[in-house]
Amino acid sequence: MPDDPGIVDVVGLLLTQHARIEEQFLLVIGASGAARQEAFDDLVRLLAVHETAEEEVVHPLSRTIAGSDGVVDDRLDEERQAKEMLAALLDADVDSTGFEASLLMLRTAVLTHARHEERYEFPRLRAKVPADRLRALAPVVRAAEAAAPTRPHPGVESAKANLVAGPALAVVDQARDLVRAAARRARS
Amino acid sequence: MFNPLDHKGIPLDQQIRNWRELNVEPIDPEAVDPYTRCRIITMNGIEVEAVMFSHQFARVCPDPDVRRELAYTRFVENQQQRVVNWLLPGLASVLETTLGYEQVAVDLTAWVARHEPDPYLKQAYEFGVLEDFDHLYRYANLYEMVERRKAEKIVDGVTEVMPGRPTVAEFRHPFDNVNDPYAKDDVDPRSKLHALTILSAEQQVMIYYMNTGPQYMEPIARQLYQEISLIEQEHVTHYESLLDPGETWWERLVTHEYNECWLYWSFMEQESDPRIKAIWELHLQMELAHLQQAADLLRRHDGREPEQIVGDTGLPEPLKFEPNKEYLRHLLATQIDLTKLGAGYVREAHERFEQMQERIHGGEQPPSEAVIDAHRELLGDEYRLETEGPHPVESLRAREGSRRA
Repeated sequence: MPDDPGIVDVVGLLLTQHARIEEQFLLVIGASGAARQEAFDDLVRLLAVHETAEEEVVHPLSRTIAGSDGVVDDRLDEERQAKEMLAALLDADVDSTGFEASLLMLRTAVLTHARHEERYEFPRLRAKVPADRLRALAPVVRAAEAAAPTRPHPGVESAKANLVAGPALAVVDQARDLVRAAARRARS
Repeated sequence: MFNPLDHKGIPLDQQIRNWRELNVEPIDPEAVDPYTRCRIITMNGIEVEAVMFSHQFARVCPDPDVRRELAYTRFVENQQQRVVNWLLPGLASVLETTLGYEQVAVDLTAWVARHEPDPYLKQAYEFGVLEDFDHLYRYANLYEMVERRKAEKIVDGVTEVMPGRPTVAEFRHPFDNVNDPYAKDDVDPRSKLHALTILSAEQQVMIYYMNTGPQYMEPIARQLYQEISLIEQEHVTHYESLLDPGETWWERLVTHEYNECWLYWSFMEQESDPRIKAIWELHLQMELAHLQQAADLLRRHDGREPEQIVGDTGLPEPLKFEPNKEYLRHLLATQIDLTKLGAGYVREAHERFEQMQERIHGGEQPPSEAVIDAHRELLGDEYRLETEGPHPVESLRAREGSRRA
């Protein structure tokens, strides 16, 4: 068995990420203080890697299937809304009451978005895109996932990013760059 | 004990609800008490049976006044079903709801088996529960393969997940699923409620699987739903044959309404979510009036009192959703190899059983076995949730080291 059992294609990998994101939300909600901050940072990283993979790899693939533009536009709209909610949370004190309420709203938005993908987007990919193509894309997303830091490490990001948005946003950017680079390599 | 025959409830002419009242907020699937989900699924099955029973009754009822009365209450029961079932969230997948259905089948049937006073009826529940227990295990493996989530997210550790009587061995000749009925005038009224409750739950499971199964694209998912839905139909035969066919339609109507009172009252007593508790309480108040109507019809058309059907001592002990792990492990250890021969239970693989097995399996591995092999191939092991130690039956222990050990 490989180190990463069951990842036969990029859809399987994204499903696994959905499951991990669900669990991570529970870990954040269940923790407090420094542990909660740590769990939240992990969540931010998971979301960044995942959404970037979807935007850079999966949704463009979906657009190659006739009649899928509407479904993809709806998903992108959901991702944009979730990102706005996440951005508002990045600077908040994780133990404030406002944080928990906002986190629950974000969770609902993210989980609803994930279910929409599972119902309306992923089945079409598996039905219409050749299986070897879906398999070939899995390592692209996995490489980016492995390369992203587990949580923001001061000094890894550029000084500018740190100054502008703080470490959490920097890790999002970094994850995005990693996925983009991997996707470029896969295309070339 | 609370006697629903002593209460009037909400007047029937005030029971039809508007859109705002029907538009209930669903439960949060990430935060729900697993037994709240079980109570919702149970009451959905009960209301579906209420509606279908009333339709069947109306088709054989020549009295136009009664048909109108039935139509009115049936509309109300329909609205009750919509409210109850619409508590389930769109965020949950079909397979997650399926795991909830099997958790209901396991813990509801186990509770009824523990409380059934008649030994023959008790045996019927003990026999059936080991089969639904196995379905939970098969679907849990499918769930992790198809959705990459673990069934403990749904069952939450209050119900174990491991093999029961293997689904492959659950296919019996249809003759052997027909049991002997209870005798309506001699049996404890509790037994009537138990039989109707389990019958309703299994019937809804069958309807759900036979309709949602083909929505899957994955061949193994389509095949597993097809197989298990056939077993659920066996279970409907198994449980419905326990009911006395000599009960009149009026008498059966009384039993249905009385049973709904018992269950809404039971769940109202037990419910952990105050918002859902309020729904059980409202529906109990509605059912009390339905019971009055059924009792009046019985008096008018059958010349009998409802107490002759359901007793005069009030409701039995409330039905409870609670863990049955120890009891199930005892049944696994003692009844795993039972099958049916006619209306009785045997351990031998008799000729009619073997013939049915050959006929249906055709020498091939059924989907319920294939799903475990496919899970092993994809994820390296099988999914189990054994919180109380290894499987009590040695031959059904996991074949190799588990990542969940």
